[in-house]
Amino acid sequence: MQTAKKRKRLNNDAKWGYVFVFVPIVSFIIFTLYPVVQAAIVSFQSYKPLKTEFVGFSNYSNTLKNGLFFKSIWNTAVYTAVTVPISILVAFIISILLVPFKKRSQSFFKAVFYLPGIASGVALSFVWKWIFDPLPSGLLNSVIRAFGIQNQNWLGSSQTAMLSLIIMTIFSGLGSTVIIYVAALLGIDPTYYEVANIDGATFLQRIKYVVWPMVKPTTVFLTITGVINAFQAFQTAYLMTGGGPDHATTMVGLLIFNNAFKYFNYGEACAQALLLAGIIAVFAVFQFKVMAADVEY
Amino acid sequence: MKKRNLSVLLAAAMIASTLAGCGTTAKGTAVQQSNGKDIVKALLPPVSASYQEKLMEYAKEFNEANPDLELQITTASWEDITEKLDVQVNAGSPPDIAFIGSTGVTKYLDTEMLVDISKYADKEMIEDYNADIINYFKNGDGLYGFPAYVEIQAIGGNKAMLEEAGIDWQGIQKNGWTYEEFREAIKKGVVKDGDNYSRYGFVFACSGVAAKDYFSIFVKNAGMSAAFDKDLKYTYTSSHMVPFLKDIRALIDDGSMPKELSSVDAGKRWNMFLTEQTMITGKGLSVFEKLATDNNKKLAANDGSAVEGSQEVEYIVLPVPTFQGNKQQAQGAVDGYVCFRGKDEPSPDHLKNVAKAAYFLASGKRAAETCQELYISPICKSGEEAFASLPPMEGKNENNTNAVKNLATQVAEARPDIPADLGAKAIKIEDEVILPKFQGLLAGEITPEEMHEAIKKAAVEAFGEEGCVMD
Amino acid sequence: MGLFRQYGDNQKYKSVLRNGAMTAILLFLAVLTLFPIYYMVISSFGPPNEIGAASYTLFPKYVTLDSYKFFFGFSKSSFRWIVNSMIVAGVVTLSNVVFAGMAGYAFAKVRFPGSKFLFFLLLFAMMVPYQVTQVPLYILVANVLKLTDTYTALIVPSLVTFYNVFMAKQFFSSLPTSILEAARTEGCNQFQILIKIVIPISKTILSVMAIMTFMGSWNTFFWPFLICNNEQMQTIQVGLKNFSFANTTYFSPMMAGATISALPMFILFFTLQKYFLEGVTVGAVKG
Repeated sequence: MQTAKKRKRLNNDAKWGYVFVFVPIVSFIIFTLYPVVQAAIVSFQSYKPLKTEFVGFSNYSNTLKNGLFFKSIWNTAVYTAVTVPISILVAFIISILLVPFKKRSQSFFKAVFYLPGIASGVALSFVWKWIFDPLPSGLLNSVIRAFGIQNQNWLGSSQTAMLSLIIMTIFSGLGSTVIIYVAALLGIDPTYYEVANIDGATFLQRIKYVVWPMVKPTTVFLTITGVINAFQAFQTAYLMTGGGPDHATTMVGLLIFNNAFKYFNYGEACAQALLLAGIIAVFAVFQFKVMAADVEY
Repeated sequence: MKKRNLSVLLAAAMIASTLAGCGTTAKGTAVQQSNGKDIVKALLPPVSASYQEKLMEYAKEFNEANPDLELQITTASWEDITEKLDVQVNAGSPPDIAFIGSTGVTKYLDTEMLVDISKYADKEMIEDYNADIINYFKNGDGLYGFPAYVEIQAIGGNKAMLEEAGIDWQGIQKNGWTYEEFREAIKKGVVKDGDNYSRYGFVFACSGVAAKDYFSIFVKNAGMSAAFDKDLKYTYTSSHMVPFLKDIRALIDDGSMPKELSSVDAGKRWNMFLTEQTMITGKGLSVFEKLATDNNKKLAANDGSAVEGSQEVEYIVLPVPTFQGNKQQAQGAVDGYVCFRGKDEPSPDHLKNVAKAAYFLASGKRAAETCQELYISPICKSGEEAFASLPPMEGKNENNTNAVKNLATQVAEARPDIPADLGAKAIKIEDEVILPKFQGLLAGEITPEEMHEAIKKAAVEAFGEEGCVMD
Repeated sequence: MGLFRQYGDNQKYKSVLRNGAMTAILLFLAVLTLFPIYYMVISSFGPPNEIGAASYTLFPKYVTLDSYKFFFGFSKSSFRWIVNSMIVAGVVTLSNVVFAGMAGYAFAKVRFPGSKFLFFLLLFAMMVPYQVTQVPLYILVANVLKLTDTYTALIVPSLVTFYNVFMAKQFFSSLPTSILEAARTEGCNQFQILIKIVIPISKTILSVMAIMTFMGSWNTFFWPFLICNNEQMQTIQVGLKNFSFANTTYFSPMMAGATISALPMFILFFTLQKYFLEGVTVGAVKG
């Protein structure tokens, strides 16, 4: 009896499950999966708009023979490995500091951190170019001089170009991460803290044993989407350095873009894109395994 | 349960495959008719702020003069137009006419979507143009578009400072100068106190991809006027490259150019020019004379609208110095209107109409107005005639006009003999090897020898040892 | 909140000290993040000059509204661009909140066969860079469906983004299953649970999703740029780029446009902020 009822309920659940995911799935198949499948097909072709030829794996083998591809993967990996954890950590700390404030001051700070996100990337890239002005009169150079650091050729030197892009990325993207974290923190049932208080937990212990586990799904989400975005990063390098100097900031996204459009080597661009997606997928699976071991899916 | 799961997937697969089917059988831009009119689509960037409206007027004029045709103009901003065009070309549905730089001809030719208009345009149309310039839109025997103008890319100086430093700018405008003369001249432009520079001798915008301009404009005067010589051998592998690169580097090491040159962008260096932080700037275009004059007027009005900290500046067009005794050659950027076809074979009648519309846009009043906007002279007879009837440009420096005319006669000749596939490979080497290494050279991270080796390696890989100049 | 210790009256100074320090840190970070925006706004009051004329100063000496006039006078469609952006971003936001909310709940709390497979399929599709999917998508929308210059074309590709589905799923998965189970035993079906229980306690995340989707849609440049040829159908981001010409960019008018285009989002933020602060009242539901 009991099991039959349960099965029926599950059946009913499944029906609702499909109803809930129907629109996203359909729109995904048409507007995301279909282009992805097409790109996958093209990755085995020598693509020309008027006539295409099947070339087997040669786009892939060319890519894997290309030193620049690996250099750009390395650059992208460095960029990702630095920006994602730092952004998440800084946003987490800011959110923790924000929580105790009264409503008014809290929303003031949230607005402040959120603001850079609402300005268009192109307009902001002009501002950042000014911040990274290489001459001694430049803004950032004036600031570091006050600390006795010598003048830097920010975007123009391979020592600092990547660092400059990283600084820019972290500061521009903080807002949404903070807002998502604050939402997650506000979702924690205060009774958990009370229990912890009774146990005499210190502030750091409360963070470690209550807050961190409770916001874990959010952290997983932010890490995985952060990694996906960082691996696909294209615009910052495109607008700020064009990949230079000496390929110090050439990202895979930039390489794919150049192949697809600048050189009309669309087949190879698709092969590189799928290889990149494969790399991201490996990372994502790894993250799910490591971070989400105790979160239910 | 399993069944339901399967059916969902099946349905999904079905939708996907129908769409995939659509994708492969989709028609490109066939000849479209509306009210029996043949539609010609053009994708153009506005040359200046007033152009958004001007382009619409041109379309109206054309449509009134040709009742059986309809010219539809889409505008896209100057910076992004290539991206839009490239997606449309990859999708097999480009516009009939697009505005591109002549260096792009090879790239689009490679997609086999450019139309050879020599068969469809009237003889008079083609003969309207300066033969040397229209060649920029030729490849092999085919003609793929009409040029709108040639813009001389050189350098420009501050008249008062040049005179103060005892530089005979009028003589240089006429006779050019050697690298050695140039090097000494810009040393005199420097004003510094210890390590604090308040003025440099020469600043060229080199940030990001702009570094390519510096290289390609200057290398023309070092005996390498194009990436390939007459025998179609790749030239940048030549041993002459090393002393040229050393010379370029020396200007920075002298302190005549900022050591942070590799990240000075176009806006910054123009600001430096107006605020007297540099004596000479590059790249220089004719229109800068106008920008400088405009700023002088604002200074005179003294209402604070001029560039902050700027001084009155008279812009002087200067030629690029010559290296190692080579002859002076000017870099001319030739832009114009090229014609595309879609996936379907277009009818000859349609192509005739496309050629007609492209010629309309590239000639007569349109050419004259575009050139006036850029402070330059037209390159077609019909444009010159229309130009003469336009109000003359006010207060234009005669010396500059003559210098630019002189430079225009020295524009490196077009190279329709370079096959598209070689050209495409050379562009790739330029983007993936020369530009990044040159940025490294300017930043002081790579030696001229290292850069030369890198070019050689990439070139030999692409063209083989026998395909390169190895002296 | 219980995260921070509440000091008694006799230790009030400790609380003041702590809050002061926290405020100082936040203010410092706030100044850093706000700086680019500050520069954008002050530059928008500069004269409508080309980019070399951009004043490299922190405090403008010359303030004028000319760039705003230039922006609106530049094209008859300047205002229309903003309206277009609002329509597109509004519809996209609404559809995302509804559909991504439902799908996120389904992936998080409803058991149905294939759910894991579908989820990871969607996740993988998100990993393929848009540079290569743009061309097939363009072929589909422009050449096959012939939707160039329509709102449909601007809207449908982002009708519901996987980013939002994923975010919703992660949030809903931290809801205590016990409440949902309780409702189930009382005979509610999944739809009723979603409407009556989940949504009321999830206003925070839904409004976060709304504002982020709106922001994302508002700032999209490349797709609207590709798919719209008619000036009347451009969005504000596409319109802003029209200030780049052959040899120069009109700096201040572009910044004026960027400032104007940021305003609606600022308004939206303050409209939705009361939901941001409500938090999830799971406890109330329990009681």
